[in-house]
Amino acid sequence: MSPLSLELGLGLLGLVLLLVESFASVPRKLIAYAAIGGLLAALAVIVSGAAGSVPDSLKEFYVVDPLALFYKGFAIIATLATIILSLEYAPIIHQFVATHPERTKEAGLGEFYSLPLFVCVGMMVMASAVDLITIFVALELVTVSFYVLVAFMRRSAASLEAGVKYLILGALSTGLLVYGMSWLYGMTGELSLSGVAYKLAHWEGNSAPILFAVGLMLAGLAFKVGAVPFHIWIPDVYQGAPTPVTAFLSVGSKAAGFVVLTRIVGTFLTPGSVVAGPVIQILLILGGATILLGNLAAIAQTNFKRLLGYSSIAHAGYLLVALACIHTGGLKMTSGEVAAFYLATYLPMTFVCFLILSAMRAKGYGEDIASLKGLGRANPTLGLALAIALASLAGLPLTAGFMGKFFVIFATVLEGYYTYLAIAVIGAATGFFYYFKVILAVYSKPDGPSEGPTPDLGLLSKVSLAVFVAAILVVGVYPDLIRFALVK
Amino acid sequence: MEPISLTGTVLLLPLASALVIMLFHGLLKNVAHLVSTGVSIIMFGCALIFLGAEDQPNGLLLYEYLKVGTFTADIGFVVDTQSRGMLFIVTFIGMLVHIYSLGYMKDDDARARYFGALSLFMFSMNGIVLADNLVMMFIFWELVGVSSYLLIGHWFKKPEAADAAKKAFLTNRVGDFGFMAGILILFGLTGHVSIAQLQGSMESGALNHIRDNYEWIITLAGLGLFLGAMGKSAQAPLHVWLPDAMEGPTPVSALIHAATMVAAGVYMLVRVYFIIGASHVTGDIIAWIGGITALMAALMATQQSDIKKILAYSTLSQLGYMVMAVGLGGPKEGMFHLYTHAFFKAMLFLGSGAVIYACHHEQNIWKMGGLYKKMPVTFWTFAIGTAALMGVPLMAGFWSKEGILAVAYPEHGHGNGILFGMAVLTATLTAFYMTRLVVVAFFGKARGKDADHAHEAPLVMILPLVVLAFPSVLAGYHFLAEPLQALVPNHHEGAGAKVVMGCSLVAVIVGFLAATRLYRNADKDPVNIPLFANKFYIDEFYAGLVKYGQDRFAWLVTALERIFVDGLTVRLPAALASGLGSWMRGLQSGSLQAYTFVLGLGIVVVVYLAVFFSTKP
Repeated sequence: MSPLSLELGLGLLGLVLLLVESFASVPRKLIAYAAIGGLLAALAVIVSGAAGSVPDSLKEFYVVDPLALFYKGFAIIATLATIILSLEYAPIIHQFVATHPERTKEAGLGEFYSLPLFVCVGMMVMASAVDLITIFVALELVTVSFYVLVAFMRRSAASLEAGVKYLILGALSTGLLVYGMSWLYGMTGELSLSGVAYKLAHWEGNSAPILFAVGLMLAGLAFKVGAVPFHIWIPDVYQGAPTPVTAFLSVGSKAAGFVVLTRIVGTFLTPGSVVAGPVIQILLILGGATILLGNLAAIAQTNFKRLLGYSSIAHAGYLLVALACIHTGGLKMTSGEVAAFYLATYLPMTFVCFLILSAMRAKGYGEDIASLKGLGRANPTLGLALAIALASLAGLPLTAGFMGKFFVIFATVLEGYYTYLAIAVIGAATGFFYYFKVILAVYSKPDGPSEGPTPDLGLLSKVSLAVFVAAILVVGVYPDLIRFALVK
Repeated sequence: MEPISLTGTVLLLPLASALVIMLFHGLLKNVAHLVSTGVSIIMFGCALIFLGAEDQPNGLLLYEYLKVGTFTADIGFVVDTQSRGMLFIVTFIGMLVHIYSLGYMKDDDARARYFGALSLFMFSMNGIVLADNLVMMFIFWELVGVSSYLLIGHWFKKPEAADAAKKAFLTNRVGDFGFMAGILILFGLTGHVSIAQLQGSMESGALNHIRDNYEWIITLAGLGLFLGAMGKSAQAPLHVWLPDAMEGPTPVSALIHAATMVAAGVYMLVRVYFIIGASHVTGDIIAWIGGITALMAALMATQQSDIKKILAYSTLSQLGYMVMAVGLGGPKEGMFHLYTHAFFKAMLFLGSGAVIYACHHEQNIWKMGGLYKKMPVTFWTFAIGTAALMGVPLMAGFWSKEGILAVAYPEHGHGNGILFGMAVLTATLTAFYMTRLVVVAFFGKARGKDADHAHEAPLVMILPLVVLAFPSVLAGYHFLAEPLQALVPNHHEGAGAKVVMGCSLVAVIVGFLAATRLYRNADKDPVNIPLFANKFYIDEFYAGLVKYGQDRFAWLVTALERIFVDGLTVRLPAALASGLGSWMRGLQSGSLQAYTFVLGLGIVVVVYLAVFFSTKP
């Protein structure tokens, strides 16, 4: 079986589910379950190693290497988690979608459950894409689906505003990316990354046009991953978008950006490349600025979703620095694998936070940090899970988050980038401050005397919560679990 | 049975018992004591068979616990005379204490918890005895600390008991720190922790070389290990926890704070004697600390009025004896005294338990009196124990005390006149305070109504006393000591031997006569020496040290922390960060045009960096 058929299959499933949504009146939950079933099947194929390879004729555009398989699995898990999260969040979606919420029961939900499948397909293709056109098409499939998802709650002004901002700024960045790509093609005459790499390594003559192209492309991708100063859209969009979409954006969209970035940076940094120096320079400067700004700005946040937005910016900074550290032989991982590891640790902790945020929201709580007060007592399980996830985001030892940061920091040491080592450490220390502020809220007394309803989760969410928390703790002591999946 | 399955059973069975009892505490409420006691009897059986096991120069491997590179630390067993004999003592006394506790703890609400902790203790103690490497010994060392904590604090609702448990644990921490340092030094020097390997290295290897050239390192390691022993065996100045530990149930005092756990320190010193003996400085320090502890504790014991406290100080004093013997180059003498002392001291404690039980938990000897008629069996066994402890000729304690005095006698290789004098004085005081205890508690007329109504303890409590009476008399003789694999010291000959014998006899007689004269028919203590009664004010000194030393130091450190750590390195950057954060938050105006502008600016910067600013990072 070719992995391409997985992507086609999931895409087909998404189309069928959209049609079912339009023409059949089945309970919308079934659509979600069908999507979950399809994703689980695809995950099983990938994990079992039955994904196989692609014919030689496709290898110019599409490769199946461990990194690609890893990111495909990553995309599927992120999508699964998003759909489960959506089930939890359904009442709120419905409230802001339906014209008459009390009359129509499940308006718009089916669409909301099936759209993530298209994002997933885009991400999976992207994981394998080694050709500028393929990369671009896959990236746009992801981005366009996200435009819809972000603005999905059409009766919520915040959601619409977020959608518009994301659309306009996203279009701008896409333009930059394509412009950069076309310059690159114009200069090298190549579309495949291997061809570009060969040309870069044997470049003679003026390198300024190439560097111009590289700069534009990096700027475009920096937008996708939310690096400073292209992060500007993140806080507003994260806060306005429906919570499951925010989670998906912060994990899925970021991972998509990074898989492309990994491939493209790998091409730029090919041995002997004329652009290697400036590319590392840009990555480091953007990464350092992102770590600092993401962490510092997070301190002042009072809204938990927005805090997670800044947190996601800060994490992107670590990922960029990781990509810049190419001499990571001491870690027995390439820089791309360090970044992939980091993303894999980032996924469970972020989803745990968003799962609990959704549970709170569904019971009518606000999204402020203050509204988390008393959670530790009202539902100790959720409180503890959130505390673990936050500790992991901060990078407490024995959690997955520590391992991710550890590898990145180690990589900077191996390279001798001591400035960025200092920045990374300062950022991590700052992180402790604001993440633990949230933990403090979880375990402090509620302000008001009134006891609200106890936040709780459905069965599927509970299972995924348990899996994620277990993953955080297990990877925290046994990082090889992920490294084995990465480094075959 | 194979030795490995014997030792495995002895180690794992009590663990299983402890786990089962602690996990199914509520369910097993009414059978837990039987489970634990049954296990203790099986262990004793195993230990008996084990007495016949052959020496294993390479030890027995149960489980490879830790392996890093070439370094290993296993759960492995050492099989030699010392471990076989010690295992016998521990399981024998353990079994008797279990049986005794069936009676003593009959009406306790938390009996199951008590027996669970007792099983845990047996597991830990057996681990120390059998450990063939220092890491394993340290692990079980700590486990003994934990189970001792649980047992001392068994009546944790009583603040004194809770405090005593805490005190024992914390004081032991100080010692454990030294133990660990000692282990680490040895590990750093040789790269392994197995006792057999270390011994080999000391004979002809790295340690041998180091001893010849840098003896101070060996001294340091030996002193570290000794610090551990000081904690567990309650040597001055870390002795303060043991008297307080008497807050625990009396059978616990008998098992842990007389016969086994406190003996662990001495046992360990003898195990690593090749390190201690390698440095004169270590030996001297150990001997002096032991001697001082012995004398000081004996002085304190003369002025106590709580029956268990007297025995506790007596234990301190005897432990000091053993430690002194080890320091003076007589590990066998030390172990031999440990062996005899275990029997009679356990019996004395159990006897005091019977008295306390009979007098409705009255522990003040001045409120007892005249008990010899009401509790004849207790009295006679107690008297035998007292005679043994005093060192009355032909009793078990006589032989072992004799051995220690002989080691201290100046004629002996490391002997020392002053220490010998102190040891003889201690022996005199021992005879004195034990006679005092017996005379006041068992003779005269009853001085309280609890003592008036006292009657003999039940059979399960009497039985262990009677059983223990036999070794208290006979343990010193070869026909018993040899099959029980005690480390019997070589007989000392020469002119010194007669002097030692003479001093020992005079000490017993003087002490006995002085005490009978003073205390016969006394209704209250005719002697009053506050310095001894208040334990040399050492607890007060520590309290003062904490109050005036530590608290002031803490105040200074807090002040420095507030200014430098809190202020300059935390609050200032935090304020800066928050300020920056607020400013950055302000950048996020929400206006799309502004965002687009920032984005455009970013592009310019990146392109500039890419095209015009190309230095190596």
